[in-house]
Amino acid sequence: MARHEEELARELRRRGYSRRDVLRIGLQLGLGAASMGMLLAACGSSEPAAEPAAEPAAEPAKESIFDINSGNSGNWPKSAVADPGSKVEISVGHTWDAVFFERQLQFDKLFMERHPNIVVKAENTPWGEFRQKYTAAAAGNALPDLLYTQFSWAQETIRSGMYIALDDYIAKEADFNFDDFTKPSLVSYQYDGKLWGIPYDEGPGNLYYNKDIFDAAGEAYPDDTWDLEKLKQVAIKLTSGEGPNKIFGLGELPSPGDSLMAPNYLFPFGAQYLSEPKEDQCLINTPEAVTAMEWWEELRTKGAVPSPADLQNVAWPAFQFGKIAMTLQGSWATPPIAAGSKFNWDIAKWPKGPKAHSTFSAGSAYMITRDSKNVDAAWIYMNEYLSTAGQTYMWASTGRGSPSRLSAWPAYLGSEFAPPGAKNVEEAMSKGIGTHDIIDQPTGPRVTQAAGPIWDLVVAGQKSVKEALDEVFAAVDPIIAENRG
Amino acid sequence: MAITTPTPPKTTRPKLGGMARKEELAFYLFISPWIIGFLLFDAGAIFASFAISFTNWSALSTPSFTGVENYTKLINDSLFYKAMGNSLYYGLGSVGLGTIVSFLLALLLNQDVKGMALFRTIFYLPSVVSGIAVAILWIMILHQDFGLINSFLAFFGIKGPGWLVQPEWAMPSLILMSLWSAGGAMVIYLAGLQSVPIHLYEAAEIDGADTFQKFWNVTVPMMSPVILYNLIVGFIASIQGFVLVYIMTNGGPANATLVYGLYIYRTAFINFQMGYASALAWVLLVVIIIITVIQFTVARYWVYYEGDVKQ
Repeated sequence: MARHEEELARELRRRGYSRRDVLRIGLQLGLGAASMGMLLAACGSSEPAAEPAAEPAAEPAKESIFDINSGNSGNWPKSAVADPGSKVEISVGHTWDAVFFERQLQFDKLFMERHPNIVVKAENTPWGEFRQKYTAAAAGNALPDLLYTQFSWAQETIRSGMYIALDDYIAKEADFNFDDFTKPSLVSYQYDGKLWGIPYDEGPGNLYYNKDIFDAAGEAYPDDTWDLEKLKQVAIKLTSGEGPNKIFGLGELPSPGDSLMAPNYLFPFGAQYLSEPKEDQCLINTPEAVTAMEWWEELRTKGAVPSPADLQNVAWPAFQFGKIAMTLQGSWATPPIAAGSKFNWDIAKWPKGPKAHSTFSAGSAYMITRDSKNVDAAWIYMNEYLSTAGQTYMWASTGRGSPSRLSAWPAYLGSEFAPPGAKNVEEAMSKGIGTHDIIDQPTGPRVTQAAGPIWDLVVAGQKSVKEALDEVFAAVDPIIAENRG
Repeated sequence: MAITTPTPPKTTRPKLGGMARKEELAFYLFISPWIIGFLLFDAGAIFASFAISFTNWSALSTPSFTGVENYTKLINDSLFYKAMGNSLYYGLGSVGLGTIVSFLLALLLNQDVKGMALFRTIFYLPSVVSGIAVAILWIMILHQDFGLINSFLAFFGIKGPGWLVQPEWAMPSLILMSLWSAGGAMVIYLAGLQSVPIHLYEAAEIDGADTFQKFWNVTVPMMSPVILYNLIVGFIASIQGFVLVYIMTNGGPANATLVYGLYIYRTAFINFQMGYASALAWVLLVVIIIITVIQFTVARYWVYYEGDVKQ
């Protein structure tokens, strides 16, 4: 990782940051002492750089680790919708981490330069508070013009009339290419034959692995030849030590309390959780599903996965702390892993199973809300923000990952911030391994809330897999009955 | 000795003098910030939630009137009973244990010992620590493999349980953890103890009372109004508990710590069932009122107010 630190340090020096600034940015990124030392060493003397820092974008953007002009292709789409004749303000509700919000402000600054009559007010809300805040805002008809939406609550909020359909606007844009979007990315935002949101990302579940743990055990890294049996064997082999120093072969096991479970843990064995996409039948206690779940539970009995106690006081994703050899995470886990890990790591595809090669695919989108006072201006913003140029600027060039547009992937694969194995992320999407057959109907939260506590008893060793899955079926079936109408 | 309580004569409110009127005005001025704040920020929401409880409303769309459907629905909702049971369990456990521990601490810290101010500060300190920090601290203390408690038990050859991860131990763990904030009640007890008149103890000594008899016949009766206050306030707060549970266990494992507040939160903000969540909240209010009335009713038999005359 030293190469990244040197590059980052060079870039910061070029932009006139002092060693004190570098130290602060390093802390914000969660860099450890060793990384920080390298970063400061790479910065050289404490004298200020001759070249002045770039003009700050909307005040705090000077603290961004990204150059405001990096990733700016300049190929911004020209909307068929005319800019407002006088100043209007649009508000956009985000839920970014502090580092990425600076990138957001950079985008907004450049957008406002291109559209002097549109003032963009970015609202950033911590993830944990986002839903409460905007549910209350919806109740008070006070939603921002544009709002971030995750796949898991998209359908519920669409059907409640919280957003406006985008089809009329899209029809006006001659260069809006639906085929440019990865197939799974649009699924959660379609309803009633209309499109209600435009996704910015859609990423597959990837196998992140700790190269240092593999090296120490003399084990070859995961590659395309791996199947789930191999994953299991290696996970058991890499498990070692005790107490706080224990190394776990795998980071997690399937739980029916997880809406993303089926594609990775059941489909490879020819089993299902709910019938997708309608989610009107529960199939979790079929013989195939029971066999698959028992197969996975063997890893728990071997002690190869952390117990709930082990995971209680660690930040997500636990992989970043270096005690887990392999973990299944969406590509959105890359930024915290890149910032928090002090070891070498990379990404491989989730291995294939005996019946199928499958991994979950999920993402998020932006919607124009029903409370928008300036829908045209909101569309102009959205059209650029989620265009190829916008996705390249925001998610691809920054290495954040998995843009929903195919045309933005080359910039992601070429980003210095993307993991070395980023091509595996792209291939999982382009080769049809990633599937959006995840639980995303409005009944989803109630399904996982009902199933999760039952599965806790399996984890605690107080119930067999078969007993638990029968109970899950009994609890879930009445909930999804409303999808049969 | 049977003494009856004289019936107080019925009186009309006496006409206030100038000074009394000023005092009355000052009273209203002092409480006005709270009253104005309540009317502006709370009262509307409270009354609105009552109306919402008779609707099917996701908060995202227009509500539809459903009558008492939300209230009848909870009769068949197993999670309603689970959450209510968990909250009562937590309330009884944490308030019962907390009352004993904080009262005993107050008795200890009421002694005339050098450096007592420092001890009082130390015991009160945990009460001012941020809730999140407390939660993370206790997650580590209660860790199954290398937590402080299980390490201590292991010293004696005892294998400690998975405190927060085994369903049968999760709620006792939270109750144990609630003792962390016993300092708040302790300060109130301490203030009460310092106001018990010395002459009562002197009179008891003259009558030949030993230490325990003085405690039981003087300290406890004189402190009973304070104990009642802490029981009522503590129980109301406990039964509404949410934040620490949300952070530490999020209701798990197996819903063992799904307290009522967390269930309301999930129903409202995860499942978008605002009408049902409002009904749940109003049922909680009724339960709290019933329990408080019971506490006041029972208090007639064990709480002593100075000047009271009991049969």
